[in-house]
Formats: sequence, structure tokens, C-alpha cells
Amino acid sequence: MNIRSQISMVFHLDKCIGCHTCSIACKNIWTDRKGAEYMWWNNVETKPGTGYPGKWEDQEIYKGGWEKDGTGIALKGAGKKKGLANIFHNPHLPVIDDYYEPFTYKYLDLIESPAGDDQPTARPISMITGEPMDIKMGPNWDDDLSGTPDYARKDPNLLKLSPAEQQAMFQLERMAFFYLPRICNHCLNPACVAACPSGAIYKRGEDGVVLINQDVCRAWRMCVTACPYKKSYYNWNSGKSEKCILCYPRIEAGYAPACMHSCVGRIRYLGVMLYDADQIERVASSDDGSLIQNHLDIIQDPFDPAVIASAKANGVADSTIHAAQYSPTYKFVKKWGLALPLHPEFRTLPMLFYVPPLLPVMASLSKVDNTAQSQKMNDIAKYWPDNWLYDTSTEELWGTLEQARFPLEYMANMFSAGKTSWVADRLKKLMAVRIHRRAVTVGDISAEKAAKVLADTGLDARTAEDIYYLTALAKFDDRFVIPAAHREQAIEMLEFTGDVKGSTGFGFKGGTAGRGA
Amino acid sequence: MQRKRFDIRSLPRVIMLVLPGLIGMAQASPARAQTGEELFKTHCAACHTVGGGRLVGPDLAGVGDRRAPEWIVRFVQGSQAMVKAGDETAVALFKEYASIPMPDQPLSEAQVLSIVEYTRGGAAATGALTPPAAAPVAAEPTQAEIEHGQALFQGKARPKNGGPSCNSCHEVVHDAVIGGGVLARELTTVFGRLGGQGVRSIIGAPPFPVMQRAYLEKPLTPEEVSALVAFLQFSDRNHALQQPRDYGPKLAASGAGFTALLLGFYTVLWRGRKRQSVYQAISDRQITSSN
Repeated sequence: MNIRSQISMVFHLDKCIGCHTCSIACKNIWTDRKGAEYMWWNNVETKPGTGYPGKWEDQEIYKGGWEKDGTGIALKGAGKKKGLANIFHNPHLPVIDDYYEPFTYKYLDLIESPAGDDQPTARPISMITGEPMDIKMGPNWDDDLSGTPDYARKDPNLLKLSPAEQQAMFQLERMAFFYLPRICNHCLNPACVAACPSGAIYKRGEDGVVLINQDVCRAWRMCVTACPYKKSYYNWNSGKSEKCILCYPRIEAGYAPACMHSCVGRIRYLGVMLYDADQIERVASSDDGSLIQNHLDIIQDPFDPAVIASAKANGVADSTIHAAQYSPTYKFVKKWGLALPLHPEFRTLPMLFYVPPLLPVMASLSKVDNTAQSQKMNDIAKYWPDNWLYDTSTEELWGTLEQARFPLEYMANMFSAGKTSWVADRLKKLMAVRIHRRAVTVGDISAEKAAKVLADTGLDARTAEDIYYLTALAKFDDRFVIPAAHREQAIEMLEFTGDVKGSTGFGFKGGTAGRGA
Repeated sequence: MQRKRFDIRSLPRVIMLVLPGLIGMAQASPARAQTGEELFKTHCAACHTVGGGRLVGPDLAGVGDRRAPEWIVRFVQGSQAMVKAGDETAVALFKEYASIPMPDQPLSEAQVLSIVEYTRGGAAATGALTPPAAAPVAAEPTQAEIEHGQALFQGKARPKNGGPSCNSCHEVVHDAVIGGGVLARELTTVFGRLGGQGVRSIIGAPPFPVMQRAYLEKPLTPEEVSALVAFLQFSDRNHALQQPRDYGPKLAASGAGFTALLLGFYTVLWRGRKRQSVYQAISDRQITSSN
């Protein structure tokens, strides 16, 4: 056993409203620079859709991630031999048009144009060349199913669905979508680290954040190919690759990363998980059938004395172990079994987990007598004096999963390598909690029925309340359990702090005292 | 469109840039006022003597009596122009001295006249005036000298004062020496053309402006000069025996051949490459349908 700590994330997709606030927060802090205009370390995609960069999930195009190689695994598009053969020309790189060519508008023309017969217009200008351009793409061109025939229907997750199932998804009455916010997964078995010929990428020991050393990067761009999530980007201005740094300067100071802090729907959770590093190779090479189970099993119980002992032997601080015991991500992923990794079949063992969205179900319309219901309405309430009922409930409690507007296979292709049972299990739990809360607050479902539903999914009322709390009521400190970074110890390793002991802060680091002058 | 015009605001900057150059030019001549003797040693002594007999060029003792001063000034400042213009004396001299052109010297009229004045005094007056040309011709070069000279020529050995190696600019036909530069003359038979003393004095005190500049602060030591002369003597004698390979058009052809081979190889190796943006078809269709 070789226990290490990992900062992990959970995104609750049921709560995401697709507002892109996270993307903007990230852009403003990190990628609002020359050469980085096209990068979105955090982006939000509409599913079904092709995403950003286009069809990133299709590894037949981009050759990212790992693939089974006998008993072990090998990088699909990079690695020693392939890397050497392609070192001067990487043949599977995304081009700028796969992302989008960043643009702005020549706004000054609106103000400074000489008087004329026509209204002046602000022409689009490329932020790469500075020349006028025709806009072909944006980073979320397929938002909210726009351009469905071109984008949503070309979603790589649809490939394994039958044509009839695909057709059914895009009937006007059935059309539905959900949002998928994405950042770097800070994987346990990162393909980008394995692919880098310069050794510039590393996984930080203390919290598992994957970083690119900008001084060592030599622009081979193998990480761009290797990352199956396409979350490593090449900066054409600096000639270095860049990626999400999980706002480590903020984490070290005890703040949540900018995307998580700004999240309007409060869908994001961040916390420490303890994992067994000795198992990484075995888990990443496991069979398709046992991959997800092994992936979840590599995460260890932070209350287990053996785990704690091994973590301490590896130098994991007590505060970090304590944070792991209160980690919201551990609860979602392991304790409650509600979250799944995105595309586990890429075998990078991502440490960002998603709670799958409870699918919108097909409703029925039936003629009823609404008079009794209408009388309950307040005088100023708006109601329609008609006798139709838009009914989303069904006789069978679990029947709705099969009646969902998406085939379960679609979700399973994203979150469980095609195994529908994993997704169905999580959706049932979500629904059970919902039914339980409906029994508590609305009362139109009997307590017995709610209890039975919970029991079916292996939950009890107490757990359901906990899930409800962390899902709907959680405060900032519940959603983000950030361990102390112990920067004072890091500083002590680099310089002798005894010299300024007793100086009550003045004179430390040379310039501190004169900073206000 | 706004055209870029000269902006009066940039004038101070232009002056700042140009002024130091002008000052430098103005200062150049008075700062280096030299006597005729010094000028002779810097600019002439590589090829000429005063009373020491012929070297590369004629003995200049009493040249002021043989030619008109204006003619001398013109010849020193532009001998080849005079040869081309058909000046009889100039043509005759050019032919007499093995058609070796005399480099144009950056000397003013006054400076040339001061040199002429110096030559009038003659070497007869003082033995000290006798230029190095009068030194006895060196004995047959040793093998060690030749090899050291070759190393210096190629830049394998660094000159003591850090001067540049010869093959930065010059070429010599020699099996063991990889082709040198083409910025200056090819030196295979320079020993035969100029003679040992001529080569020695040119290397020791280069009369050519570029070479002079290159070795001004990094002069070659007398031992290095001897070694280089020995090497040049060796290559002059043995150049007929050298067989440097000349691939001619074959080199270009094989280059093209290997390029084609390499391109073919990569065509096969990268046949599965990603050829275009995943959105190419969409944008093609959109552009076609909008027209």
C-alpha cells in the first residue's frame, strides 16, 4: 500500500445551467493572453454535441489516451517509438479550426468611420493574424443544440447507438440536452505526463495537480495528442504548452479554484481523496468489464487505520487526512456511489467525477378535471382554466428510466464505457432521493413507498437527507474542503526563517517591510 | 488608409541616431594623423620596399621622381580604374607585375604625398628603413610548420591573439581541407604568384581593407605567419597532386533524390494522419451554400 493524496472534483450535472460563468472566470484569470486566446481550460459543452475541440471524444481522429496492449497498456498516439517517429511532425494534432479561430471586432470603425451612405459595421478580426476574417466557429458553437444536424448528430457518443435510437433522440418532441462542464481531470495515470519527451509535465506530489513546467517544455506537443480530453493546449506565442492548473495558487491559499468559486449553479465540489499508488498500473490495465469498479476501488477509505498509517508514512499531513475524511467528493464518489468518471475507457484514471443528470422523461397529456385543484390557488396566482394535465409521473417508479428521452446507452458511452447498469444505478439513487424528499415536503407519496424506493437502491432515509443536504443546501465550506497547503513548511525548506523570528512579520522576504513605501 | 509620412516628432530621434556617426567620421582623420613612414608601413610595406628591390610590386625608392605626383595619387586611390581606362603606364606596370591588381587604398591626397615624400628620403639614408622584405628568404619549411599552418588555416588551431581562421574567407585546393569561404581570393597558387616574401608581408600586415580590419587588434604572431606561408608554399607546390572530389550536378541530383525518397517514406508513414479540420466539411458546405 502506497497511499497518496489527490485533490479531486465532482460536478453535479443535474445542477448545471450552462451559463459559462466558470469558463469566463477561468479565461479572465488565466488565458486572457496572447497565444492563449483560443484556449478554454474550462469549457461547457452541450450534450449531445461535438464539443471543443470538435469530436474530441473520437480517439480514432485524435489518438489520445491509452489502449490495451497485451496485458498492459500503451499510449495510443504517443510514447517512445511513436513519439520518436513523429517528433518533427505530430500527425494527429488538432488544428486551430478544430478549436476555433479566436476573433474580436473592429469596434473603432463604428466610431471613427467617415460619414457615408451606409451604416458602419465592425468587421471581425482574427486575434491570431490581426486580419479581417470570416468567422467559422466559436468555442461553444453547438450550445443548446444549435446547428443540430452538423454538431449534435455528429456526437461521437452516438456512434455505438443504433440508427433508430439516434433518430428517436432527435425527434422534435423528444429532443433534450444537458451540459457538460470540463476542466483538466488531473488524472492518476495521465497520458500527457507519459507522452512528454522533455519530461516537462509532472503530477504534484502533495495534491496530485498535473502541471507543465514552462521552463522545461520544448513544444513537442505530444501532450496535446496524448490527452484524450484535449485539455493540454499549445500557446503559439510563447511556444509552450499550457493546461488547467486547478488554480493551485488559490488552493494553496485556501480558496476554491476560480471556476468552482464562481459557479452559479453550485454544481462543483472539491476535496481530497486518498488513493493507493501501487495499484495504478493494475487498475489502468484492467479488463473493460472491471475497469470502472477498479477505478473506484483505488480510492481508499480515509478512516481505515492502515490507510492512514501508509499516508502518514508517505508524508501526507494530518490536516490533509482530516480533509479527506470530510471530503464531499469522497462522499459522492465512494460513500454514496453517485458520481462516475468521464470516459473511463481512456484509461487515464481521471479524478474529476460527474453526477449524471437525471434524464427528462417523456410526459403525457391527459384530460382531467382541474376544478378542485384550481380552487386551491391563491387569488393572485396565475392559472390556466383548462382541464389538461401535463404528466411526467408514471405508474412504475423505475419505468421512467426506460422511458427517458435519451437512451441510457448514450449516457453510458460517456460515463461508464458503455455499461448501462452503472449509469442506471446512479440515476435510480438520484430519483430515490427525489422521491424521498417529495414524500417529506409535498407528502403526495406515501412514506412506505419512499422508504421502499430508497431500500431498493441501498440507501436509507438518513443517507438520503445527507445527499439532499450536500446537493441542495451545502454551504461554501461543505462544497470545498481544501486541505492546508502548509506553505510555511515549504518556505522553511528553502530558506532559514530563524533570522526573522520575532520580527512579527517585518523584514521577512526582504521587501515586505518596504512594500507600502 | 493612412500613409506613413515623415513625422517631425521623430526628428530628434533621427538626429540622435545619426549624430554620433557624423562626429565619428569627422574625428576619424585628424585623430589618426600619421607620418609618411607610418603610413608606408601600414599600407604599402606588404608589397613594396624603399630601396629593398622588387617584392610583389615595384621598389618605391624615388618614385616621386619617376612619376608625376597627381598620377601617383590617382594610381594609389584607384589603380584598376586607371588600367581599365587604358592609362599606358598603368597597363604596363600591371602586366609587368604578373597582373596582380593593387588594392585601392583609403588614403587622402595629402597622405599619399606624405608617403611619396618619405620614399624620396630613400632607404639609402638609414638601414632602419629597410622593410622586412629585405630579410633573407626562409629555409625550406619543415613538416611540422606545414601541419601547423594547415591547422591554422582551417581553424583547427586558434591563432594566439584570437584572429579569425583563413578559411572563413579563403579557399585552398587541398585534399585534407574542407572547402573554405568564397568571400576573398582562392589561395592555392598564391605562393607562386606573390613569392614567399609577398605572402609573408601580406599576412603580417594586410593591405586589404577587410583583412586589415579583421586582424587589426588580433595580429598573427611571426611564428604563425611562417607556418601559414609554409602551408601555402606546400599547397602551391602540391596542388596538382590534390584530388578533391567534385560531385558536380550529381550532388544536386542525389539531394533531390533523397528528398523524394524521404517524402515518399513519410507519405507512407503518415498515411493515417489527420488531414483536415473535423469541421472542414461543414464550413465547405456553408461557404458553398451562401454563394
